[in-house]
Amino acid sequence: MYKKLLLIFAALLTTLTLMFAQDYSGGVKGVVVNRNGRQPVEKARLVLYQGASQVAVAESAEDGTFMIPNLDNGMYTLVIEAPDFLENKVQVTVNDGYVKNMFNLSLTAVQQVTELDDDSFAAFDLDDSGYNDNPTILFGSNDVFNNIAGYNFSAVRFRARGYTSESQDVYLAGVKLNDAITGYSPYSLWSGLNEAMRSKETVNGAEVSDYGLGGYNGLTNIFGNASNVRKGLRGSVLTNSTLYRLRVMASYATGMMDNGWALAANVSARLGGNDWIDGVYYRSFAYYLAADKVFDRSNKLSMVFFATPGERGAQNASTQEVYDLMKDNMYNSNWGYQNGEVRNSRVRKTHEPVAILKYDFTPSDRFQASATLLYRFGKNGYTALDWYDAQDPRPDYYRNLPSYFYDSNTDLNRANFMKWGWANEVWTHSKDYPNLTHINWDRLYNVNRLQEGGRSKYVQEERHVDQNDVNFAGTFKWRAKEWVTLTGGLTARYNATEYYKTVADLLGGEYFVDIDNFAEREYASQPWKIQNDLDYFINNGNARVLRKGDKYGYDYLAHYRNVGGWINGKFTAGNFSANVGGRIGYEGFWRQGLIRKGLFPGYPEDDAMAAKWQAAGVEYAKPGTRTETSFGNSEKAQFLTYAAKLGLNYVIGGNQRVYANVGYFNDAPKFNQVFLSPRTRNTMVDNLTTVKTFASDINWQYSGNGINVRATAYFATIRDQSKVMSAYDDLQNAFSNFAISGIDQRNMGVELGFKIPTYIVDGLSVQGVLAWGNNVYTSTPRMTQTVDNSAEKVMDNVLLPYWKSTITSEGLVQRHHVPSTPELATSLGLSYNINYWFIDADVEYFDNAWLDMNPLYRTDYAVAGPDNVITDTELLYMTTQEKFAPAWLVNFSVGKSWFIKYKYQLGFSLNAKNVLNNRNVKTGGYEQTRIIDNTVSKERYYRFDPKYFYMSGFNYMLNIYFRF
Amino acid sequence: MKKFIIAITVALVAFSSCRSLKEEWDPVFTFGENQPPVEKLKNESDLGEYGFSGTWTSIHDLKAMYKNTPLEITSNIWIKGQVTSSDVSGNIYREMYIQDETGGIDLKIGKSSLYSEYKLGQWIYVKCTDLTLGAYNGMPQLGLVADDTSTNEYDTSYIDSQAIIDGHVFKGAYADPVAPVVVDENALKTALSKGFTGELWGKLVTVKGLKYGDEIFALVYPNPNMSHKSTNPENRVFLSDSGTWSINTWGLTKQGYVSLVESGALDKAEVGSGNTRYGPITGRPIDYLTDGKVLNSFGTDAMLTYKEIMVKYATANYVSHYFRIGSTDIQVRTSGYVKFADQVLSTAITSQGKTCDITGILTVYSGAAQFTLVDEPSVSVKVN
Repeated sequence: MYKKLLLIFAALLTTLTLMFAQDYSGGVKGVVVNRNGRQPVEKARLVLYQGASQVAVAESAEDGTFMIPNLDNGMYTLVIEAPDFLENKVQVTVNDGYVKNMFNLSLTAVQQVTELDDDSFAAFDLDDSGYNDNPTILFGSNDVFNNIAGYNFSAVRFRARGYTSESQDVYLAGVKLNDAITGYSPYSLWSGLNEAMRSKETVNGAEVSDYGLGGYNGLTNIFGNASNVRKGLRGSVLTNSTLYRLRVMASYATGMMDNGWALAANVSARLGGNDWIDGVYYRSFAYYLAADKVFDRSNKLSMVFFATPGERGAQNASTQEVYDLMKDNMYNSNWGYQNGEVRNSRVRKTHEPVAILKYDFTPSDRFQASATLLYRFGKNGYTALDWYDAQDPRPDYYRNLPSYFYDSNTDLNRANFMKWGWANEVWTHSKDYPNLTHINWDRLYNVNRLQEGGRSKYVQEERHVDQNDVNFAGTFKWRAKEWVTLTGGLTARYNATEYYKTVADLLGGEYFVDIDNFAEREYASQPWKIQNDLDYFINNGNARVLRKGDKYGYDYLAHYRNVGGWINGKFTAGNFSANVGGRIGYEGFWRQGLIRKGLFPGYPEDDAMAAKWQAAGVEYAKPGTRTETSFGNSEKAQFLTYAAKLGLNYVIGGNQRVYANVGYFNDAPKFNQVFLSPRTRNTMVDNLTTVKTFASDINWQYSGNGINVRATAYFATIRDQSKVMSAYDDLQNAFSNFAISGIDQRNMGVELGFKIPTYIVDGLSVQGVLAWGNNVYTSTPRMTQTVDNSAEKVMDNVLLPYWKSTITSEGLVQRHHVPSTPELATSLGLSYNINYWFIDADVEYFDNAWLDMNPLYRTDYAVAGPDNVITDTELLYMTTQEKFAPAWLVNFSVGKSWFIKYKYQLGFSLNAKNVLNNRNVKTGGYEQTRIIDNTVSKERYYRFDPKYFYMSGFNYMLNIYFRF
Repeated sequence: MKKFIIAITVALVAFSSCRSLKEEWDPVFTFGENQPPVEKLKNESDLGEYGFSGTWTSIHDLKAMYKNTPLEITSNIWIKGQVTSSDVSGNIYREMYIQDETGGIDLKIGKSSLYSEYKLGQWIYVKCTDLTLGAYNGMPQLGLVADDTSTNEYDTSYIDSQAIIDGHVFKGAYADPVAPVVVDENALKTALSKGFTGELWGKLVTVKGLKYGDEIFALVYPNPNMSHKSTNPENRVFLSDSGTWSINTWGLTKQGYVSLVESGALDKAEVGSGNTRYGPITGRPIDYLTDGKVLNSFGTDAMLTYKEIMVKYATANYVSHYFRIGSTDIQVRTSGYVKFADQVLSTAITSQGKTCDITGILTVYSGAAQFTLVDEPSVSVKVN
């Protein structure tokens, strides 16, 4: 009996054990959500550890849910990883075989740490130099390299792989929005709308995006529509020590409501000065309104309207002599005091609204398409001083500096100690001489007041670049088979950008006169020839008298047209996938002069006009002969453009992949690269051709167990680039234009980014980035030099034999490098994330950055000097490219957020950059396009000193946000 | 958590205000109406703070201090005078003439467009201390100590540092423009006999009854980028001693110069100076052998003729037209950069033999009288 009872109990126990083992085993479930907005996070990777052993792996579903079943009772660590989010770890206890519901597991977005947009870069004033200095903005995305480099390297204006920012494709709502005329990335259109423009997708290098085939320097698509703005009401206050003092921002988004509508709004204001650069200030605002309407499962319409009206003061570059005298590498010569107020002469004033209408069509899970219409319009002005027959008002004009009066080189013929002493006294005691070391606004006003009739000698002009930009983009994505997905689209663009300037301020005078004061010096006795508006002069007998707000000087339209199509196929076979794509298109552009300039009248349009011209003594070419003209349409530059891409991708074991991309691109040059002097005439550079680029990269990526690594090697050649630089040349007393064609370059290098847990301290990782490149010029381009006040070519299609290299006296060849970015950029640091705290500390090292080169210094003319004899000394002196000194930087970030009553979220992030307060880091600059020819020996020429921009010293950004 | 919130708030306030005491919230001009005050002109009582002792030195007495070598003035000397020149036409450049009743002087303010800031007739006060009195081929000038260079040919240098101008040249009250002194041949001869201290030099003068001399003088450089010195005679072409060389304009603009050269009017002009002559401009530069290489003074332009080089490197040039009163010559010298350089001399003067009255700044150059027209010929030259 006792044995029977024992057997029955054992059988029952076994049965119960088996029963419970099958039906009541423990587990973990929950929903992965974005900490900001509680929106579900899809495809988050959840890894469960028991001690050091990995127990299970799961992935969150589209609605963020996950479930890890069949767990024994015990203590576990759940690690949650997702692209664009900081890793999170939580402790889980499974008791009594129950499935533990973790409810919401929130992840903190990576971008929350950074506030990277166009505001992250000072507005460098390069308009008169002919150079551009637009940095690449790298966004985090799902990439460890960009996550770290994007923010940390922005301070040195790092350009990924040495490519210009024009080569980085920036899309908004599926429309490529790089500037039609210059190609520059258009981030300034939405700076200050960080909340509205937060959602984005990025691909690197020559990878293909769902929104376009892209080029060789990545593609970022910003969604920008209402349903992609984080749900809820948000407010933030930010203070920043390098650009503006205060940013206040508010946003509200409904998310997708039951009635199918999603509404969103975002407003901000950026105000004040900063700690480092006097005269730089913001008075900028931003607004954004958007609505999405989902009609049914297949049809959605999105409407967006936004703009960032406001103004910001710009920083100017100066020579090292000025910086040294002022003991301040952040000296800005653009401003002066006016009645005790800081007044900047160079102020960008913009209001360029963008309207978007987008239709999404998703008839099935396998096919989706969209069509977007985008319109950009409004005003974009940039003020500057202009003067007529008066002294140069710029305080750091070279004739105001000590070096103009004394130089130890006797050949320069500068040996007056007295004058040197006075100038030195002024610049080393700038606080005692504010009117000599900054713009003397009082003097400008008083000179104007003194003129008979009130004719201003000095005015503040506003140079406008006003766009009318209409874009269409239609895209589709079709998963035709399980193993093949096709994406493609059609694009069209109509752009008519008006370039003109207006009188912004008469500075105490009554009027200004619309004549070319540079031409007046050459042609004073031919009044028709010095007219900026010849037709007005002929019809009225005098030059146009200008009042505030009037257009003057130049006025032309840059027309741009583009149509194209692209397609890409992605093919998958097991762990292997490949994509093949291509695009083809037409691009055309031309100039349309809206006023007739006296120097370049062209032909009379009819006999009546011819009679008037003859009566006024106007000299013009006979119809049928070739002449340079300022009025009407130029010839059209037309190009067939195309590109092809191939990508290969192999996934190894779930955590690793190896992939490679190769592409060939035949792209049109930009409008601003082909017109010799668009302010004055319709003439284009000779032998126009397309830019040919071959780009390739091979990559290895590992992502798992908290480890993220990406290693890349890249190689690219870019051929037949052209460039036009314009700079005021006081030796010619005119704007001088240098058109360079046939520039070839080769970029190659490696990129490495990694983030690896230390396994010693929970939540502590080591992270780092290495970017090494060798980007050099490989051709001997040609250059044509013209001046605005003459049709003559100062130099016609001359070779630039020293563009790609310099030969030292020992016979060594020094290669010249693609400038304006460090070729070596490294970062190594620690990242600590736990309990919604993050703390990052990084040490960075930058080297191999080069100064932008001036083509004039690479001609035989400049090297040989007046005696026409080239010596080794002259060659080395004139043609060597300056290399910037290496730099060490230390950055530090900390942030934390709290939930209040489970409803509100309060948080902050503090980024301290350049903690070592290194004030000697050059971030860019340029060689002045002028030579010193007034020498004793008359044997050689000398360079003007280059101008530089520097990075600010220790600076911080503190962001406090409140959300509910 | 309250502590954290308080800490963050305090940190924000601290960061955003750490510079506020200095200039963080400095008012920034944003295109409002906030015009600066009108410049206050100086009167004599204002000059005390700059060291004025109350005693003026006449321009004549100042000039009398010059003893054929540059004089760096160390004592507290002040002069005053009215502005008589304008650089509006460009014929006077980087200098300004002032005069009192005793004489005139060339004030070498090395800035352009001085007419925008100094009005004709305006009183100017000059603190001469630390300035240098000198002469240029006999013409009195007040400037700064000369440049200490091997090639310097001048007694003085320009006052082109704004800080020095601000400390030495003071703007006084506006007044009516000074009337020109009418000069006859005797007065001119007297001034020439006195040399440096002749009271006419640097003054605004009208000479009546001038007759055209049918002769010009100009010195042009085939390649102006190369040395202008007499030690490089191959880069010099003198247009003199042979009539007007078909030059009938007051100056030679770049275009005028090119047209003149291309017309062949200068084909007989000789390259070189003194005893070193290279033949007419239609010839080629000479070759010479250095280190086994055939070179010449014009380098890569060696295959061109001088004439072609002149066209290639053409610039504007000075021209001096000779006029005569009685037996005394006066040159009227005009820059090629002057707004009226292209204007043709009246044929009534050049062809029909009529006399004219010319008004301008009278200067002396190596013992000869020279005129610089301040205004354009329609104002400065009156045909009789």
